Amino acid sequence: MSGNDAGDGNGDGRQKPDEDLSARLKHLEKQIEEKLPAAPSRPSPGAGASNGASSLGLAMRLSTEFIAGVLAGGILGWLCDQFLGTKPWGLIVLLMLGFATGVYNVMRVSGSLSRPAAKSAADKNQDRERS
Amino acid sequence: MAVKMDPIHQFELKPLVSFGHIGNQEIAFTQSALYMFAAVGIIALITIVATAQRSVVPGRMQSVAEMFYEFIGSTLRQSAGHGSERFMPLIFSLFMFVLVLNMFGMIPYAFAVTSHIIVTFALALLVITTVIVYGFMAHGTKFLKVFVPSGVPGWLMPMIVAIEIVSFVSRPISLAVRLFANVLAGHIALKIFAGFVPALLAAGAWGAISPLPLALSVAVTALEFLVAGLQAYVFATLASIYLSDALHPGH
Repeated sequence: MSGNDAGDGNGDGRQKPDEDLSARLKHLEKQIEEKLPAAPSRPSPGAGASNGASSLGLAMRLSTEFIAGVLAGGILGWLCDQFLGTKPWGLIVLLMLGFATGVYNVMRVSGSLSRPAAKSAADKNQDRERS
Repeated sequence: MAVKMDPIHQFELKPLVSFGHIGNQEIAFTQSALYMFAAVGIIALITIVATAQRSVVPGRMQSVAEMFYEFIGSTLRQSAGHGSERFMPLIFSLFMFVLVLNMFGMIPYAFAVTSHIIVTFALALLVITTVIVYGFMAHGTKFLKVFVPSGVPGWLMPMIVAIEIVSFVSRPISLAVRLFANVLAGHIALKIFAGFVPALLAAGAWGAISPLPLALSVAVTALEFLVAGLQAYVFATLASIYLSDALHPGH
């Protein structure tokens, strides 16, 4: 603050290096930004949970992810019954699907899904090599 | 003498200015709307007025605004990756709105706007609508790859696609339910624990253990402050994770 108050007459002369600096900073920032996403291309939601706050946030996510899955299945099933006239079956099937979705969501959030997926991909590759 | 406990009373909407009725529903400017306007005012004060000077060495308010901005910026970049800068205004507004409303709710006798599911669900719908509209705008029908994860064996595919669709529908629900449930449950718990104190004091000899619920309600208050900040953070993080699906579908 005191630097700005020093004098208005000098203002223009002093502004130049500041602008130059900010331009250089912006350039550097851009370079860093371009390099940054390359390293963690798509961090899984559970991966970056090292500090306390975000692991607590993760814990709070898990419970609602499951409930939301079941709720979404139930709502979709009910809507299906209402508009397609498949009275009990839409709700039954989609509620079960919603339950599966809840489990799937929880597995995905907790990060335990990444390994089986990679494994199945590896299996697929092996199958392709075999055949 | 029993002290009447009504933990739900605090969530009642009180119309301040009534605009008449549509059907049986009263259309009114409630205290909830007033709190929302106040929240927008506070955010505008922090972000616009405090940064008006644009000094190189930030003052107190300006550094607060810059801190929030940097925090949300890095969160967004981490969760949504490349090209996510265009959503910065949306995510920043959402985070600040939810955070300030949650913090308003922590002021004694104030109203917690985010304890109403219709408010949180409207915010969640805003996020999901943005994801769908931007996804189709940027990628056309390729956006539907969101529902087809890679590396799944063929016979399992119909099942996984059905699950992914239900999972997509569950996203706004989980966003809305998480925020609303945490705020609602926290405020009810706070009210009940605090209500034990006068109830025990009124019950004669039981008054001796009344410091216990008092200490507990102090602890729950601290926890609620943590939850208020954390839920705003989680809301912003999840919104940016969902937006990353719109930016990069079919991973």
